[in-house]
Amino acid sequence: MLAYLVRRLFAGVILLLVMTLVVFMLFFASPVDPVQFSCGRNCSPELKKQTEKALGYDKPAVVQWKDFVQGIAVGRDYPDDPELRAAAPELVTECNAPCFGYSTFNTKTVNEEIAETFPISLSLAIVALIIWLTGGVLLGVTAALTKGSILDRGLVGASLILYAFPTFFIGLFALKFIAIKWGLWDKPVYTPIAEGGIGEWLYHLLMPGAVLAAVFMAAYVRMTRAFVLESMTEDYIRTAKAKGVRPRIVLFKHTMRAALTPLVTMTGLDFAGLMGGAIITETVFNFNGLGKLAVDANKVYDLPTIIGLVVLLAAFVIIANIIVDVLYAVIDPRVRLG
Amino acid sequence: MARITKRALAATAGIVMLSTTLAACGGDEGDNGDGPGGTAGKGGTLYVKAEDAIEHLDPHRTYIGLHINMLARTVTRGLLTQSTTDDPAPIPDIATDTGTMAAGGKEWSFTIRDDVKWEDGEAVTCEDFRYGYSRNFATDVITGGPSFYPLSFTDIPGAAEGAPEYSGPYTEKGQDLYDKAVTCDGNTITYRFNKSWPDFNLAVAALHFAAPYRADQDKGDKSNLEIFSNGPYKLEGEWDKESGGTLVQNENYGADDTGTRKALPDKIVFQLGDKAETTYEEIIADAGPAKTTISFNRLPASMFSQIGNEIPEDRYLNVASPFIDYLWFNTEKLDPALRQALAVSTDREAWINASGGERSYKIADSIINPNVPGYAPNSVWKDVPPSGDADQAKTILEDAGIDTPVKVSLQYPQSEGADKQAAALQDSWNSSGLFEVELKPEGDVYYTNIQKPDHDYEIGWAGWGADWNSPSTVLPPLFDSRANIQGGSLGQDYGKYRGDEFNKKLDEASIAAGAGDDAARDKAYQEGGHDPRQRRGLLPARERAVQLRLGLGC
Amino acid sequence: MTEFSLTKSGSGEDAFLSVRDLKVHFPTQDGIVKATDGLSFSLERGKTLGIVGESGSGKSVSSSAILGLHSGSNAKISGEIILDGEDLLSLSEEEMRQRRGKDVAMIFQDPLSAMHPYYTVGNQIAEAYRVHNDVTKAAAKARAVEMLARVGIPQPDRRVDDYPHQFSGGMRQRAMIAMGLINDPGLLIADEPTTALDVTVQAQILDLLQDLQREFNSAVIIITHDLGVVAEMADDVLVMYAGRAVEYGPCKEILTHPEMPYTWGLLSSVPEVTGDTDAPLIPIPGNPPSLLNPPSGCAFHPRCPHRDKVADDLCKTELPELLPGGRGPGHTKRCHLANPDEIYQTEVLAEIAPDLVKES
Repeated sequence: MLAYLVRRLFAGVILLLVMTLVVFMLFFASPVDPVQFSCGRNCSPELKKQTEKALGYDKPAVVQWKDFVQGIAVGRDYPDDPELRAAAPELVTECNAPCFGYSTFNTKTVNEEIAETFPISLSLAIVALIIWLTGGVLLGVTAALTKGSILDRGLVGASLILYAFPTFFIGLFALKFIAIKWGLWDKPVYTPIAEGGIGEWLYHLLMPGAVLAAVFMAAYVRMTRAFVLESMTEDYIRTAKAKGVRPRIVLFKHTMRAALTPLVTMTGLDFAGLMGGAIITETVFNFNGLGKLAVDANKVYDLPTIIGLVVLLAAFVIIANIIVDVLYAVIDPRVRLG
Repeated sequence: MARITKRALAATAGIVMLSTTLAACGGDEGDNGDGPGGTAGKGGTLYVKAEDAIEHLDPHRTYIGLHINMLARTVTRGLLTQSTTDDPAPIPDIATDTGTMAAGGKEWSFTIRDDVKWEDGEAVTCEDFRYGYSRNFATDVITGGPSFYPLSFTDIPGAAEGAPEYSGPYTEKGQDLYDKAVTCDGNTITYRFNKSWPDFNLAVAALHFAAPYRADQDKGDKSNLEIFSNGPYKLEGEWDKESGGTLVQNENYGADDTGTRKALPDKIVFQLGDKAETTYEEIIADAGPAKTTISFNRLPASMFSQIGNEIPEDRYLNVASPFIDYLWFNTEKLDPALRQALAVSTDREAWINASGGERSYKIADSIINPNVPGYAPNSVWKDVPPSGDADQAKTILEDAGIDTPVKVSLQYPQSEGADKQAAALQDSWNSSGLFEVELKPEGDVYYTNIQKPDHDYEIGWAGWGADWNSPSTVLPPLFDSRANIQGGSLGQDYGKYRGDEFNKKLDEASIAAGAGDDAARDKAYQEGGHDPRQRRGLLPARERAVQLRLGLGC
Repeated sequence: MTEFSLTKSGSGEDAFLSVRDLKVHFPTQDGIVKATDGLSFSLERGKTLGIVGESGSGKSVSSSAILGLHSGSNAKISGEIILDGEDLLSLSEEEMRQRRGKDVAMIFQDPLSAMHPYYTVGNQIAEAYRVHNDVTKAAAKARAVEMLARVGIPQPDRRVDDYPHQFSGGMRQRAMIAMGLINDPGLLIADEPTTALDVTVQAQILDLLQDLQREFNSAVIIITHDLGVVAEMADDVLVMYAGRAVEYGPCKEILTHPEMPYTWGLLSSVPEVTGDTDAPLIPIPGNPPSLLNPPSGCAFHPRCPHRDKVADDLCKTELPELLPGGRGPGHTKRCHLANPDEIYQTEVLAEIAPDLVKES
């Protein structure tokens, strides 16, 4: 088990390194000149060279990547120019290991950016997860148990419709009508638990959380229904019935355990993806999470932030994969790690 | 240019609006500073909303008119400032007067008032101005601002070539050179230039590259989003790049005779990130803080139809921006007659209607804004109706012996709005039967590509606004081939226009300005300006902005 | 065993299990699927009934009906299933549940899929015990270990915590048998208990079943398509075709003097391990009939090579009754043929086992 984890984590780290290298290469291979973009109007060739230096894009991409990896390993000081650091110590920003870089656009280390935005994305992901998982599983099981009834058809139809609506549409609708026009719910503004307590925090997360959860819930209703129906036809369910096990226990113990196992995988990966930021929801509701940070970084070609977010998101997915695999081995005795 | 163009086009709207509201918030019911008509009241909270983050609060790094204006009215005072009305004359702010020009524009002196204070109560000194100006030279730290001007004008070896030997106050390399170029004598600061800069006074009134800065507050890039105020407001707590910050009254605010800072609200809360549409929905709903909210963004064109309905006519303000949108033609590829034919057959009305109509734009007949001295309507447009003149175009092409239809392509940076505008232009040209226009939308790479000297684009889109009230910030940066086309870049001269006559006129104008002869300067600009516009057949359209007025009671 | 000891239909008064005119119909959009259509048989304690037929002939559906496993589906069930004097079809769902696994138990074809992959073998066996006995988990587990030992699992106290996938196929089926017999049921239904197993293991499992049957004195219904299994296990044999019994009688009778061409077909298609390896295997031509639209008359007639021997196309037009043939009242068959035994001996047997014919 331990050896397995070490091996998986090691492979994950290698994968991350390769990914960052690819991102560096792609960034500089892009036809858009990020320096020109930042240099602005009246950009003379001299000024452009200086801007390039200020942005830290003046070295070859491979060297920048090496500096980046080194920064993660041992930390880094900014600005990059050692002469400038020596001449004006008041300018220096220390970025301790693991240092993901420094965004000149946001005047912060990428670590600080992530530390500020991650709790917001995580909060949103957690609330959305709770909403879509409870809603999706409860309604999915209900649909499966009443298969063929009006209720079942209604649920399946409703989830199809919900699935078809883009998140930004639902989000804008909720914001524009429920919050602003009709005033039924205060316009959500992220409030950390430290500021407003759990109640405030949750109140403001409910609307964006529900919007984010909508599309997942729609998918999970249909998946749960399919999984439950499938496992209801399994031979071992017949065996359980033949033993005289009570129907309730057949359903909740024997059927559910088998039906919900695949959901664990889906949930783990979906949740990991969302921890990396829900771009549309965060943009619509103006929640400054990782997703919005990524959008803004892309707009201005902020390489350090982009790289940092790529690493973070990829790490989430890799770790979630490992956790899901381990969890699967715990749930399903047939699965062996190795 | 790329970035500024794109951003500024979206952001300029609020300039005058904000000046007006910040200067006279409370009861000013008149438009655009037409005079106070209501009961001006002090107190309350003004909410300012914007879609995008404000990139810089550091005065030497701000280059967006809207932000400069906002800071000028609240926390950043300079030598001179601009009026909140259309009056282009600079107003003395921390300087005692509008400055003294000497040596044919190569030297400018200002005397600093001794009763203006920083927020910690200390006086703003001549040294603070000298230090602030020096920050422009630290180009690897202080980026984003209009440092191009001080870098190329200041009398420091290498500056004329774009590489001054002084590298700013952090490394202090070449500090002695700077100490000779910019000096303090008591309360008088003197700037020495390597060439004539006759409208330096206009420049420092409009931009903040010469703003004072306290050396002990300077942490380089780390100061980017910090405010150390000498104006009527100061920052409370920290500014967050993504979400904004709160300005409160600065009790150490020193003397101010400009009349441009009424500072009525107790607090100004900046809330960033909401989509403009969301903000305007809130303003329309008019509940709670929305009653005293203004937006930095234009009213989305999709909401124009609500004006007069949900939005009372008297609650929005339509303000002219200094920006001009124009189409450029590749002078190396397109024959002059062809360019002219394209120009006169353009349905400029359709172009405007495709982007929100007259609430967004109006037709311009010069690349220079009518408010700027040196403006003269371009004779090309004299006999051309707004919807274009296909017959005239046909005659031009026939006279030149060009076979029709002519195949040309239009390149533009892709967006939903730009697609519509390009389609309207395509229609207007194709409907005459004289042209077959192909649309070639691109992403952000457009801005990089049009600066490449070997690009083969035929027609493209661009935008420009004067940095200050002078054609010297329009014609030379756009069309002076000597300044633009160098070092592997076209600069702003995307159409690759090279005109010796035109360049000569620019020099004449510069000399006249240095001699203080405004009439001769304007005449030279007009004559010179006539040339490229005639030859290149520019198609300008003037941009306007739409803004909701804020509710009462701020 | 003589033909007089045969417990035949109608004498259900003293039989432990008596099934009368059992019908299991499934209404579908295309019509009614008559999976079981008028099945009758009876069984005494300690005896074994073999139900034989192709897949889809209604064997499993009928046995599931005895366990009441069709509740919750849309099956329409009629007739009588009298177990120990009580009509199971008249019981409530809850009453039936209390009998399932206690009075009637069932073991299934594929023990791997029939056991829950996420629970240990012991857990699943103990669960069967705890459902019907108010005992602690530990007691149930001890009972499970005991049963595992009884069915011949080595080191049962350790294997009890294994998961099904850790067992071999034969051990899984032993565990299933342990699960089925843990409550000492009066009736055990084994649905193809050896089909998924190796031949050598098959024999062990059948031996085990026989041993346990003797020990528990249960009635056993063994459902199979394998006449070898029937020959070894069954006292009586019921041959099913298209939802109906087509031949019913004592095992030896049926195997030696079958009177229904379908039974002949089954016998002809089974290899005799000890027999002549040159003897041909003759498959039954055609496919099992559709239960939605069964053929008219005798359901077997489209595949029956002997239908020409019956006059007036009777096979096509008239469903033959299940009646005694020429071998006495204990051996019934559903066939219009007048002299089936003769045809079998001269035509069928001559082809599949010429030696046998010569000897006799």
